[in-house]
Parts: sequence; structure tokens; C-alpha cells
Amino acid sequence: MQLIDKLEILADAAKYDASCASSGAPKRGSKGKAGLGATNGMGICHSYTPDGRCVSLLKVLLTNFCLYDCQYCINRRSSDVPRARFAPHEVAELTMDFYRRNCVSGLFLSSGIIRSADYTMEQLIEVARLLREEHGFRGYIHLKTIPDADPLLIEQAGRLADRLSVNIELPTEASLLRLAPEKQVRSIRQTMSQIHDHEAEAKAERRGPAFAPAGQSTQMIVGADATDDSSILATAQSLYRVHRLRRVYYSAFSPIPRSPASVPFAAPPLLREHRLYQADFLMRGYGFSAGELLTGPGNLALDVDPKLAWALSHRELFPLDLNRAPAELLARVPGIGLVNAKRLVELRRHKRVRFEDLRRLRVSLDKVRPFVVTADYRPTQAESPSSVLRAQLREAPTQLAIW
Amino acid sequence: MWRISLSGGFEQWRREARALLLAGVPPEQVSWDEVGEQADLFASLSAPVPAAASGVTVRISARVQALLESAARYRTEDRWALLYRVLWRTAGGDMAAVLAGDVDGSRLMQRVRAVRHEIHHLHAFLRFAPNPQAWGPRHLAWFEPAHEVLDLVGEHFSQRMGRESWMIATPGPGLCFDGQRFDYRESCPESWRSQARLAASDPMALWQRYYSSIFNPARINPEAMRGHMPLRFWRHLPEGALVPKLLSQARLGGRRHGQREALAQQRGKTIAGRPATASESGGEC
Repeated sequence: MQLIDKLEILADAAKYDASCASSGAPKRGSKGKAGLGATNGMGICHSYTPDGRCVSLLKVLLTNFCLYDCQYCINRRSSDVPRARFAPHEVAELTMDFYRRNCVSGLFLSSGIIRSADYTMEQLIEVARLLREEHGFRGYIHLKTIPDADPLLIEQAGRLADRLSVNIELPTEASLLRLAPEKQVRSIRQTMSQIHDHEAEAKAERRGPAFAPAGQSTQMIVGADATDDSSILATAQSLYRVHRLRRVYYSAFSPIPRSPASVPFAAPPLLREHRLYQADFLMRGYGFSAGELLTGPGNLALDVDPKLAWALSHRELFPLDLNRAPAELLARVPGIGLVNAKRLVELRRHKRVRFEDLRRLRVSLDKVRPFVVTADYRPTQAESPSSVLRAQLREAPTQLAIW
Repeated sequence: MWRISLSGGFEQWRREARALLLAGVPPEQVSWDEVGEQADLFASLSAPVPAAASGVTVRISARVQALLESAARYRTEDRWALLYRVLWRTAGGDMAAVLAGDVDGSRLMQRVRAVRHEIHHLHAFLRFAPNPQAWGPRHLAWFEPAHEVLDLVGEHFSQRMGRESWMIATPGPGLCFDGQRFDYRESCPESWRSQARLAASDPMALWQRYYSSIFNPARINPEAMRGHMPLRFWRHLPEGALVPKLLSQARLGGRRHGQREALAQQRGKTIAGRPATASESGGEC
């Protein structure tokens, strides 16, 4: 099979992995050196695909042959898809070629499980080793880590890669048992804590070798089972707290060709995935806990974003006086993000904040209006009930049905 | 009323602005004209800037200077008037002039942001193609920056490309790196431009095939795609021409099962037989 045909199959097989981040790596460069590649902590999106996603890394599977039979996965062994396998040197050379052309900033390599977890992991490591040692590549490398692989292999992978990830796959153990019978929560969690331990060690010993300096991430499939958002967010929160993950990615279950009867035929609304990302961002960046965003079982609202939903059920805190409120509360106002909260704190050192200032900061005025007090403004709707506000502020449904 | 004609860049503005500031000329009494090389013809129309009152000095913080220098790279008809107003206000101690919530500050910061964005656009959307000729830099790129930022991207690409040589040609300046030293030309030589355009016609077949396969047709979202990446970049990218076809193919078929027709039509292969446990050896591959 020609290289270009393998690329087609193995890129198609990799598109269900949502992560494309190339950020968080330490500052490295190749100026005046043999070899190629730099990282500076910031990711670069080199292109955008018709599904609106960013292309930052060459994202491929080493092979889509797989011994496992995960029901939601297009590459499961019972799936009737074209199969291919790259030789490790082919992936290394493709990475270098795309990197030279400035099409990507690195590689995100994953694989179906062939022969054994250890063998598969060895093959992934071999690609990273070729890149780092033979090609002198200093760009970004993200390796998918195979749970159940030997701890020594995980350590080797972390020495070569900027980021490691182990997919949690499904939010609950029961779903994993039903849909991914070869995978176990225990070994997935174990691998995550091994990675975390190595990270902590490497951080403690500054002169020692680095270990996955951009941390670890994971992916959860949403809508392949009946798990609700509150369980999903609780799982995500525990992953952030226990294993110190940098990111949890949510991947709305996507219909696959010749789908087995164990998974739904239709995709969940993409909006649900979007709301989960928003909630996740509120947990990572704004100090919200999962329990604040969803107080009981159920899903996040689709008609309003999670911060607005939270504010609507905490009207006793609003309207908030932007000239007096503590800095950490500013970013909890619907329509005011982290950046604008910081700008407001700076601005109010110099002057009294007026409503016109919010327009200049390009705050969404409709959203912010019922929740703030400024030097010259006090909302008339402050007394209007949340249900009325909600009806005014809800987002019109934009997602079209399949036609 | 003083009318200042500028033909150079930031440095020339800085000299003029400094003289005006020292002489105590307020912004509303200055008009700034940007003119081409023939500017000198009209220079005499402007009265000479009055001498500074003796003993007057002005201190401008490094941060404000950096913001002004950055905003000056923003290409617009009236770039200098705003800068002088901000300079005037900050020199008088009014630091709100550089805050995003201020009338002038918001415009200044918007320009600073646009310039920073444009640097990022070069980092992201520029494509090098291999030089088909045996001589000259090995990697060539053509780019049309919206603002004056080409001189700021050299460091980034030299860190990426190591000792390999490359050249970026634009309708304005040009930048070349031979693996050790930069060669920046205020006006890009025509020979550089034609070399870069020749190389840019490379269709990048592997990249095109990758781009066509890495997205999920079940999730097409052209608004998000265009929102992230303004239209002006697409026509210089090899993948830009593919988009309409990929979108219509996705609407026809891939939307249902998430796979491109080209792939869905290929013969598939299920894998029979699996080891008793996942860690045991087995399988055909």
C-alpha cells in the first residue's frame, strides 16, 4: 500500500480523538542547532477543518488493526473498515515533512492494540525515539499511552513525549464493562497515577530528566451510554483533583459505519458536548466545582450556558457592583470572562467603572445587563424573576437536524 | 495647527512626536499625513515645530513605548494621530490612555491586539514549500501580511527550522535566513517573489490527503471554520481549494456515518480470533 493511502486510512481512524493541543511544553528551540523544531508553551493552530476543529499536530494512528472490540469505536475488531499500518520510520518522516512545511507543530500518535499492550506501546515509543534521536526533533509529541503496558514503557514514553494521555473512554465503570469489555477502570486509573507520580518526581528534581512536561490528558465519550452530565462532571473533577490532569476532552459519540446495536444510532446534540466543555472550563479556570454547576443528577441546560444557569439560580448574589465587588466574583458574572475581569480590576484603580466601559471591553451587554451595577447604571430588571430572564437570554437553537 | 508629513516608520514619528511634545503642542493642533517617497516636496508646507521650552524633559515608561511601537505596525490611514494622543495623555500622567476601557486606550489596544494576531497568523498559516531549484534557500514561502510584522517572525522560524535555510517573500518586505544570519529587505527583491510564488504552486499532495481525512463529516461546521480562520488566508493555502468539495461530500453522505465516501467504499477487514487475554500474544498483525 502507498504511503498516501495509509495516511488516508490512519488519519480517518484518528479523527475521533478530540485533543489537538500543542501547548504547555517547555521552551525549546533549534536555532543554530542540528535538527528541527521548537516549542514555546503556546499552541499553534495551523489550519481548521470543515468540522471547525483546529489542526495543530499530525494526528494519526500507527495502525488501526485492533484486538479490542470497544463498541463505540470504528476500529474495533468486528468493524468492517479498511485497515493499514505505518512502519515507525514512515510516521517520523511524515512528521518531519509536515513540520518543515509549517503545516503542524508536532505529532499526536495513537494506535489500535496489536499483539499486546506492551508491543503496541513499544511501537509508539519507537516513533518518538526516531524523531527525538535520529531526526533531532524538538517539536511537540503527544503519545497515547496504552493501559496495561509495562510501567517501564510508560516511563520511556514520558521521557520522549511532551504529553501523555490515557483515555478514560466512558464516565462510569458499568458502561466500560458493557461497551469496552477488554478495558478496565482500575488499570486506566493506575496508568494515570503512574504518569502523575513521574511528573511529580520530575518537577521535584529540576536537574533530572523531564517527564511529559505538558502533563497528561484524557478523553471521555459522551452519549454512547446513558450517563448524565452530573456524573460526567464529577468524574472529570476527580480526574483533575486525583491525577492532576491538564485536560479532560469530551467527545460526542459519533455514528460509525455499521454501528453495533449496543450503541445509539444517533449522535447526541453537539451542543451537549459544547456545554460540557464550558462547564469544564469553569471548573479549571473559574474555581467552580462540579456540584455548583449541577446540584443534582441530570444534564446541563442546553438553552443557556452553565455560568448563566448558575447565576440565574443564585440571584441573591446579583446585581454585583463592579466598582466594589471582590475581584474573584467579577468573573462569575455572566458575560464577563477572566480577561475582562482582570481588565475591570485594572480600570477601577483609575476611575469609576461606567456602563459605557463595558461596551468598550466588548462585554456581551445583553447578558451582563441584569447582573451588574456600575457608577451610572442599575438594572431595572433586577427584580424580574429568573424564568423571565432565562426566556430573554436563552440562545436560539442553531443546530440543524439532519436533512 | 501643525501638519507633519511622514514618509518613514515609527522612528521618524517618534522624533517628530518628541519635538512636538517637548514644545507642548496638544494633539488637536497636529495633523499627521502619511505620504510616499515624494513627501519631501510638501514638507515645507508645514511650519517648523517650535523649539522646546528649556529644561523640559518627558519620561515615557518602557511599557507605553512598547505599546506605541506595536500599535504603529497596524496598517491604517490615520495611525499616527491616535499614537500622539496617547503619548500626550500618558506624558501628562493620564495612564488610563493605555487601558482597554478608555476611549483612546481601547483603540490603541485593539491595534496592539490586531498586530499580535497578525504575528500569530504568520506563525500559523504560512506554508513553506521546498525550493525546486538547486540554489537558494531550501524552503520558500509567500505571505501577504495585513500589518507590518514580517521583521518580528524571524526568531520564531529560526527556532523551528534549525540550520535549514528559508525565505519569506511578501508584497512589501522580504526575509531570508541562511541557517545563521537574517537578511531583511525593506522592499522584497522581485527575484525572491518569483521564486516564492513558483514554490507555492506545490500542491502538497500528502498534506491535502491528510486534511481531507482528519475531520469528521458528521460534524461539519463551516461557520466555526471560517470564524477561526478569516477568508483572506484560505486562498494561499493548499487545503483552501478542497473545502467546498469536502463540505458538499459531507452533506451528501459522510454526515450519516462520519466517514468519507472515498474510504467508505474501500474493502474493509474485520479481525478474527483474539487472544484469551489482551496481554497475551496473538492476532495476525
